Amino acid sequence: MNENAGNELDTSLRESLKDTFDANLDAPPFDRVFDAAEQQVRRSRRRNRWYAGAAAAAIVTALVIGLQTPDSVYIQVDDLMATTQWTAPSDVLLPTHEFDIYQELPVLLESTKPAEGALL
Amino acid sequence: MRDGDALENNPEITRSALEAIHGQVFGWALSRCDYDRAAAEDLMQQAYVELLSGKARFKSQSSLKTFVFSVVQNLARSRYRRMATRLRLVREHAGQSDDAFLPAEPENNGDVWSAVKSLPARQRDVIELVFCREMTIEQASAVMGVSVGTGRVHYERAKKSLRTRLQNLTDQLT
Repeated sequence: MNENAGNELDTSLRESLKDTFDANLDAPPFDRVFDAAEQQVRRSRRRNRWYAGAAAAAIVTALVIGLQTPDSVYIQVDDLMATTQWTAPSDVLLPTHEFDIYQELPVLLESTKPAEGALL
Repeated sequence: MRDGDALENNPEITRSALEAIHGQVFGWALSRCDYDRAAAEDLMQQAYVELLSGKARFKSQSSLKTFVFSVVQNLARSRYRRMATRLRLVREHAGQSDDAFLPAEPENNGDVWSAVKSLPARQRDVIELVFCREMTIEQASAVMGVSVGTGRVHYERAKKSLRTRLQNLTDQLT
């Protein structure tokens, strides 16, 4: 195949292919596609802003709570003792009734029955 | 100082410049999605999101068209990687045959398209970019993420292969 024939084939090929590729080409309106893209970007930005705000609020809340809570609680022995007191067990019953339970000794009955030389 | 309609996070891109190449970019997105229009529109929207959010930043190191085509190409690759993973999982769990997951055929299924479709993916891409999207081989290589030398090799092989196939088709018809 000589060069001219090759170039002619190139040209016809180019034209045929262009027709073929463009046959289905009916592009949607630019404004519609571009505006949809802009809306998508805006929505994405709003969402990102919301996430960033929520994350910042969470961090601030955590910091505030962290600052308000003391690091650790140590109780000094003196402070602990100052809050405590000791009293003896109550003996309130004795003065009220005023009797001595050991005042009279009980008298036990004596046995009169002997058994093998000893009293039972 | 950016222009009035320049993008906030991509000051070197203007809305009007994007609008000017919108049709061509959609064509590229369409071919990246096996001619599924809904998927292509979604891909376009994602590409614009990348530009608007500044995730894909244009620094005038190439033409805007090359840059936006590259963004679409990268998004399509990511999309297919995700889809491939999902399909693999579905196949593993459902035990369905591969036929259920074949991509949709393009509407125009003529001889030329059949010849192009039978090319390896890289060759098909470079042919589409150069022949149909009016790019140079350098620009097409940048979009495909390959070196210019590799792009040129794919281009030459694709042309040679197409010439042969179309010549055979012509011979069969006459």
